Amino acid sequence: MPEITLEHIAHRYSSKQVLEGFTCSFGAGKTTCLLGPSGCGKTTVLRLIAGLEVPLKGSISIDDQIVSKNGKILVPPHQRKTGFIFQDLALWPHFTVFDQIAFGLREWKEKQVSEKVLGILELFGIKDQVKKYPHQLSGGQKQMVAIARSIVLQPEVLLMDEPLANIDVTLKATILRHLQSLREQYRFTMLYVTHDHREAMQTGDSISVMNAGKIEVSGTVQQMRESSNEFVKSFIHL
Amino acid sequence: MGRKIVRHIIRVVPSLLLFLLLGLPLIVLLLQWLGGAERSVLLSFMNRETLLLVGKSLLMACSAALLATFTGTVCAFILYKLRFAFTGIYKLALLLPLLISPYIFAVAWKDGFFWLFGNNAAIYSEVGVILIHTLVFFPLAMLIMGSALSRIDASYEEAGLMVIPFGKMLVKIVLPLIRPALTISFLLILIFSLSDFSVPAFFGERTFTTEIFTQFSALYNFPLAIGQSVLLLFVCLLLMLAETRYLSDAPFFSVSVKGSGSKKYKMRNWQVFLHGLLWLLLILVLLMPVLMLVIQSLSGKALFFSEAWMLMRSAALQSVKLALWSTLLLTSVGLWMAYIKERLGNRLPNLLLLLTFIVPSTVLGIALIKYYNLPVVNFVYGTTAILLLAYLGKFGFIASRIIGNGIRQIPVSLEEAALVMGIPSWKIFVKINLPLLFPSLFAAFVLSFILSLGELGVTMLVYPPGTEQMPMKIFTISANAPQALTSSMTLISLAVTVFFIGVFFLCGKILFKKFRYA
Repeated sequence: MPEITLEHIAHRYSSKQVLEGFTCSFGAGKTTCLLGPSGCGKTTVLRLIAGLEVPLKGSISIDDQIVSKNGKILVPPHQRKTGFIFQDLALWPHFTVFDQIAFGLREWKEKQVSEKVLGILELFGIKDQVKKYPHQLSGGQKQMVAIARSIVLQPEVLLMDEPLANIDVTLKATILRHLQSLREQYRFTMLYVTHDHREAMQTGDSISVMNAGKIEVSGTVQQMRESSNEFVKSFIHL
Repeated sequence: MGRKIVRHIIRVVPSLLLFLLLGLPLIVLLLQWLGGAERSVLLSFMNRETLLLVGKSLLMACSAALLATFTGTVCAFILYKLRFAFTGIYKLALLLPLLISPYIFAVAWKDGFFWLFGNNAAIYSEVGVILIHTLVFFPLAMLIMGSALSRIDASYEEAGLMVIPFGKMLVKIVLPLIRPALTISFLLILIFSLSDFSVPAFFGERTFTTEIFTQFSALYNFPLAIGQSVLLLFVCLLLMLAETRYLSDAPFFSVSVKGSGSKKYKMRNWQVFLHGLLWLLLILVLLMPVLMLVIQSLSGKALFFSEAWMLMRSAALQSVKLALWSTLLLTSVGLWMAYIKERLGNRLPNLLLLLTFIVPSTVLGIALIKYYNLPVVNFVYGTTAILLLAYLGKFGFIASRIIGNGIRQIPVSLEEAALVMGIPSWKIFVKINLPLLFPSLFAAFVLSFILSLGELGVTMLVYPPGTEQMPMKIFTISANAPQALTSSMTLISLAVTVFFIGVFFLCGKILFKKFRYA
């Protein structure tokens, strides 16, 4: 269960500076929620950790190994043992549920792949959807497939970019419970990005509140409730 | 490190190749003009007669562009914004003229005037050229305006309708949103009309483009032809500058695989009138030309058909063969250029293709001849390779944008999801991008084939001996052959084109169903 550390990170998109001197660490084996308003740099932090973006300055380490440093990728995305669940879920529209999950298991034998895929689908309660395409699934089923696709590769870090943004409260609660039990079972470090403070309170062991490319406050749910930081107070309407 | 080098090669090599093969000929043309020994050669085209001819050509092109943009916009509004029966069929039928070479319309309308009025003198005029250009190019305006109209989010119009009446909403909300499309539609048609060689040549109407051709091919006055080409090149470039960004993205060259979220209106009381209007257009742009060609073909001796076939057989085969090679080249290069623009952020090759797309056929032809007419590159100049290069210049941009707009519709996250899972880049491209791009690739393939099949302007200048194409054959024979023979040959050429459109349409129906995922 690795710890993730970002030190003095600077990053920009074209002319827009998104992060400057960003330093933060996310505890091993814990669920940390990155909470903040739109455009504050939450998704960029996730993408930097995944290796989908390269930091202009600073370093990122996972489990004490530096993976990116000063504009260079030292460990490519697929060797970081991370899973990424995108906001739009990124389910390949021309793949069936089975293919979505099997696609990453390229070094496995055919029979093992089949067993593994069906096993994980059973765990997620969507085994009967195995031959369906994404457009034939409900919103909740799509979320399950996206999570299953990442979990099947047994990542040590699971990065989630507001994956539950567009579903109803009941389904959201069910999926969050499911995620917690998965984390206990697979023991991965989870970093969960959201702009919804209720979701963050419900999901995270700890919460880091971000504003304009900086961490305002980090702490447990209780510490957040008791925080005297003006931005935190106004953002989570305490 | 290896991945970085591969990405660099993929980015740089095509820019370099395209520049050497197509960009440099245009620069050499400019240098040859600038390097003219005497000042009189450099500015040889700056005389009253040439300038009057430029003015006349611009006026004709402006008239055609205005008429075609207006007609296309009206059709687009009817077909893309109104709830209307048979819109799919109307769209397809009205887009057909864009796929048929303009010279076919020229011959057909010549026949039409002869049949209707007893002589066809009236069509041998500026009005004739404007009429044909309007009929040939209005589908382009319809395509561009239709694309712009269907991209307007329904909520913009609905929010407007809450506070102002329908008419005012159209003027205050819809019109400003489609303004870039209107400008591009007008400018593109203006450029196409200005640079078209075939229609004025068939009608014997002197325009700037035919003048360049005459100076170059008939009078061998190369300095003047080059000077005139440069002038036309500048005119086209100036026009292109107006909306370069919108034009270089060309959102109208796209295959939409998702339903659009634009608002559609009910027009119950106007249904009959609108159907009538569309039918009138269909008669003018499709039914009448075909009917005229048939009537004129049969009006002479019955022998003309078999004689026409004998004359056309080998040219038809050559044309189809060349179009196939050209299509393969255009689709592959288009895919490459589109990918490096959309995913690797290299816009240069796309801009170069846009430049050669905008450059009039005659100018491109002269540039290619001047550049490749050397013993050392005779393997290009003396073979069909020169034609393939010319078609790449003329239609590469269309293929690249159709595919590019397809790539834009694929969220980057689909590739990133695979990347995080450790899938190699080539496999991501083959397993994720290619299947999702299939409709766009197919559309680019079909359009490239049909456009290559009917190209005349640049073919006329650069074709090597023994590679005579269908349009060329008809053009060269039309001056001295009986009208019925020309019509029969044109009808055969039209039949070949329509046959392939039909085949592709059927294939498309089957394949699109298989590759539609939404």
